[in-house]
Amino acid sequence: MSRFLALVVQTLVAVALAPALTGFIRWLKARLQGRRGAPPWQPYFEIRKLFGKEAVVSHTASWIFTATPFVVFSTAVVVASLVPLVVVPSGPFVAGDLFAAVYLLLLGTFFLALAGLDTGSPFGGMGASREMTVVALTEPTVALSIVALALNAGSTSFSQIVAHTLAEPSAALGSEHLLAFAALFIVTLAETGRLPVDNPSTHLELTMIHEAMVLEYSGPYLALVEWGAALKLLIFLALAANLFVPWGIALSFSPVALLIGLVSLIVKLAVLSAAVAVLETRVAKLRLFRVPELLSASFVLALLAVMSTFLAR
Amino acid sequence: MNAMGVALSVMVAGYAAGACLAALAPSPRAARLITALGALVGGSGGLAAAIIVFATRSPYDVAFPNLVAAAGGVVLRLDLLGALFLALVAAISLPAAVYGITYTAAYEGRRSLRVFGLMFNGFLLGMCLVPCAGNVFTFLLAWEFMAVTSYFLVMTESDHPETRHAGLWYAAMTHFGFVLLVPMFLLMAPGADQTSFADLRAGAALLPAAVRSGVFVLALVAFGSKAGIVPLHVWLPRAHPAAPAHVSALMSGVMIKLGVYGLLRVAVDFLGTGPAWWGGLVLLAGSLSALGGVLYALAENDLKRLLAYSSVENIGIIFLGIGAGLVLESYGLHALALVGFGAALLHSVNHACFKALLFLATGNVDHQAHTRNMEQMGGLIKRMPQTATLFLIGSAAAAALPPLNGFASEWMVFQALLSGAQIPRPEVAIGTPLAVGVLALTSGLAAACFVKAFGISFLAMPRSEGAAHATESHWSTRAVMGVLAAGCVLLGLAAPRALGGLSRVLVSLSPGKSIAPAQTRAGVWLLSPHGIAQVSPLLIAALLTSVIVVVAAVMRVRGLELRHADTWGCGRIRQTPRMEYTSSAFAEPLRRIFSELYRPAEDLSVSVHAESPYFVRSITYTSQVVPWIETAFYDPVIRGTRALATHVRRLQAGSVHVYLLYITGALVVALAAAWWFE
Amino acid sequence: MNALFSQLVMLGSSGMLLTALIVLWRKSVPSYISAYRWQAWLLAAVTATVAYFAGDRQLFAVAAALVALKGFAIPALLRTMQQRFGAQPQIKPYVNTETSLCVAGLLVMFAYVLARPWMAVTHLPTRGGLPLAMALLFVSLFIIVSRRKAITQVIGFLMLENAIALLAVVGTYGVPLLVEVGVFLDALMGFLVMQIFVYHIHETFDTIDVEQLTHLRH
Repeated sequence: MSRFLALVVQTLVAVALAPALTGFIRWLKARLQGRRGAPPWQPYFEIRKLFGKEAVVSHTASWIFTATPFVVFSTAVVVASLVPLVVVPSGPFVAGDLFAAVYLLLLGTFFLALAGLDTGSPFGGMGASREMTVVALTEPTVALSIVALALNAGSTSFSQIVAHTLAEPSAALGSEHLLAFAALFIVTLAETGRLPVDNPSTHLELTMIHEAMVLEYSGPYLALVEWGAALKLLIFLALAANLFVPWGIALSFSPVALLIGLVSLIVKLAVLSAAVAVLETRVAKLRLFRVPELLSASFVLALLAVMSTFLAR
Repeated sequence: MNAMGVALSVMVAGYAAGACLAALAPSPRAARLITALGALVGGSGGLAAAIIVFATRSPYDVAFPNLVAAAGGVVLRLDLLGALFLALVAAISLPAAVYGITYTAAYEGRRSLRVFGLMFNGFLLGMCLVPCAGNVFTFLLAWEFMAVTSYFLVMTESDHPETRHAGLWYAAMTHFGFVLLVPMFLLMAPGADQTSFADLRAGAALLPAAVRSGVFVLALVAFGSKAGIVPLHVWLPRAHPAAPAHVSALMSGVMIKLGVYGLLRVAVDFLGTGPAWWGGLVLLAGSLSALGGVLYALAENDLKRLLAYSSVENIGIIFLGIGAGLVLESYGLHALALVGFGAALLHSVNHACFKALLFLATGNVDHQAHTRNMEQMGGLIKRMPQTATLFLIGSAAAAALPPLNGFASEWMVFQALLSGAQIPRPEVAIGTPLAVGVLALTSGLAAACFVKAFGISFLAMPRSEGAAHATESHWSTRAVMGVLAAGCVLLGLAAPRALGGLSRVLVSLSPGKSIAPAQTRAGVWLLSPHGIAQVSPLLIAALLTSVIVVVAAVMRVRGLELRHADTWGCGRIRQTPRMEYTSSAFAEPLRRIFSELYRPAEDLSVSVHAESPYFVRSITYTSQVVPWIETAFYDPVIRGTRALATHVRRLQAGSVHVYLLYITGALVVALAAAWWFE
Repeated sequence: MNALFSQLVMLGSSGMLLTALIVLWRKSVPSYISAYRWQAWLLAAVTATVAYFAGDRQLFAVAAALVALKGFAIPALLRTMQQRFGAQPQIKPYVNTETSLCVAGLLVMFAYVLARPWMAVTHLPTRGGLPLAMALLFVSLFIIVSRRKAITQVIGFLMLENAIALLAVVGTYGVPLLVEVGVFLDALMGFLVMQIFVYHIHETFDTIDVEQLTHLRH
């Protein structure tokens, strides 16, 4: 019972923290650019405001448009319960492994792309087309990073991978870990729509990918979509942190372990989001047809990571 | 006669009666009904036979040695592997038959529905007999019967030149496969009267290694051309769009799986183990088919050709599973090899289900909107809501999204490929990550492809008059599609149970060697080998539904104000169909990225006003993606064959005296040879 | 101790391979020059590590010479060359970026398969770097073959030389000092000759695109 409760708590914590993560990155970027910036808890106000507004739905749209925010949000929430955030999901009732998490997020993206096409707006179509291109090209890198981790640990289940890294601390500095981490970090930037792949704060036609798909959403629907996107960013960053630097994660379900896990998660997320903010301030957005070059570079990094695991045998 | 005999007799009798009575039907309407009735009876018989074999777990033999005794007689043997494919054929034929009742009404007056009924039932009979065949003669007879009847079905709309062209390619490739099957069986059969499959299995163990490898290569090419692997797939994108929708559903869903059946029967059942390069060849074929299929599907605007190329992609995934199994088997890892074969079998079943659904829905769209070109469709979700929802379920299954069936089988293929890391030789094991990368890229591209297929065809506003005036089709078509969609959902949620059932088939494939590893738990979880990683589509579906329900309830309680207005589009004034994204535009980024593969032939012509070149009158842009494998590979073969035929033609001198000379000469040579070798 | 030694050598060798991949990824010549500089420093670091753990004093001298020559002198010369030519128009390589990176990945796999028998034979703790050195060799050869700008081909040649040096260090803890000096001078001579050629090409054709050399045909 306590296992189930711990997973519910983990999911609720993730859902509650996600807007703060986006707000923190925005605030840090503002400070680095010499501005004051909105406080890190601004996204909470925005979500509350959006829930109170009326939703405008296009005449051209169908039920897919109104169903998508629910699908996007729920897939992100379900993935948050599957991945190691505060506690490592283990035991006989785990619903999925890394592949299941990746494909669940793909389900959300699938519906989001359909919603972009649904309104008949060229922006939506453009966003859908570009997003599916980027997602299709990140899939091999994600799969290979998973393979690199799984080859070391012997399985694609999160508990095995975390247990293996905790058992051999020196492996964390190995080249295969660093290469796989670099590959996964680039994939995170691509999948969650951060610079240099996509600009999350723009509404110019040439520079939108994710924003173009959700252009027609308003009111509570927009709130759900934005919250789902923030949750996706939290999941990816927490995965990158907890798979490669798992110290502090709760292995048992006692309240003390959970508290330590929560604090360590917040610390790791703060460090990684600071890195994201610094990176976003330094680089410019890539042209769309330069993005495949970046993604092939991340694919080769993941391939090298896998090769290194074979070398280490 | 026992139950099995009754079931098989019902099957054969149903199809035969359907064929003959349809050919003699008094009116086209009666022909349509009799066709479907015969197919239903035959299909139920076949399904019953397969279920009995599964329930009793014992194979069933029946022989008719007096029928064509010179060739070994007709022998039927239904074991578990054959029963699985028989069940597949029968199960998909039932919805297709019912669908055909209203679909073929459009052919009344244009084509002969009697001939169609005859060929349709003949086709189903041939497909059902292939998995039942117990000796070489029966197998080849059923195979050829299936090929000939399907040719006539493909040529149903022979008033279109593309259909005739498609029929030619189809007939050529099918007989190419047949021509390779005969030497394959000859290499295996030790004597003319020992051609039953049991004899072949026993004799195969005694063959020298070179002959075994020859048999394997011939089987791979022959059955691969039926299955549709690259580069032997060229008939698929031509034949499937040309055929009527329910025939395409049967061809794509079931007929190409008989190629998979043939390969499994020869390579795994008869030959047993082989060197690792067998599996390597199959993995290579699978990777090329998976990537090539999905990339060409992305470039297509014709909805049926897109689905045909998607079938090539899924066959590639099935072959990846088989290849993984063969490689693992060659290194002695029997238990892990069964994981690969199990994943391949599960994906065959799942693909049959969702591809049949997609083709039937496309048939609906074709008949209601009078177009197969996605650039002319749009807005159909409002005009044909149930067809759209059913197509969405099929697309989501094809894109391997949880919790539907495509996801479960792809997950198993991933696990099978990952077990390749256990291969003791690292140089071979290092190919595993490449295969995983290929599969991941394929599934990402497939998701993009089906967003395009569903999004452009069904969403937004209609792009042509036909799409604007489409209505829902007859309720019977929607009902059978609903059955198939329910099958997709159930196969997804109950995938562990389905895999558990398949494991009996797998165990029968390798008797006495090993038990299948625990691949499922409690019927709810799918397990990786060694049971460490697990996934439960049922639990995932439950979690997703509960979260959606909670969020929707919260929204309902808070109250949601909704207003309908025009699409905002950053403040544009008008929304017309011209504003929408088109199918070619959607695939454009991927086309550019993979331009080395596509090598589109582009033509741009600009006409300007006479006064000044700066005032453009019109711009015409044509971009065509021609699969370069056809120009690079098949064109030289066709040219060479024509040249050879031209040379041989010289024998036809046209003069009667030369022909008489040929006859006399042959007689003299034969008599001299008989005297010489006396 | 040995574990730390091999871990550090592997890290350095992987870093060198990554700098070669940067040449395949980026498109600007200044980034190629800094990639080469990083690679030279990493090679010096690996040599110094081997010198420390294996107790070979001569290798420290080699490392110092590496830093002086390849870490400072040659990049400076390369930068002068590049500034002489100014901004060049984008010359597309024979193989585009994504394909180059995928081919590089396959070359690394090939190098791994090739180097497996050698890894089984030697017992040195640095044997993990052998496949990486071979991979760097193949990737440098690929850079020379697939790029069109003459200066990129020069950088590819220099990276090839680095790969051979790494192979020597990792495989046999370096070669005798005399041989090392001879190889240095060889590389330097080659580089100076290539520099003269690149200047000539630029003067004749006003571009450093080696495709233009086909105009010299009869």
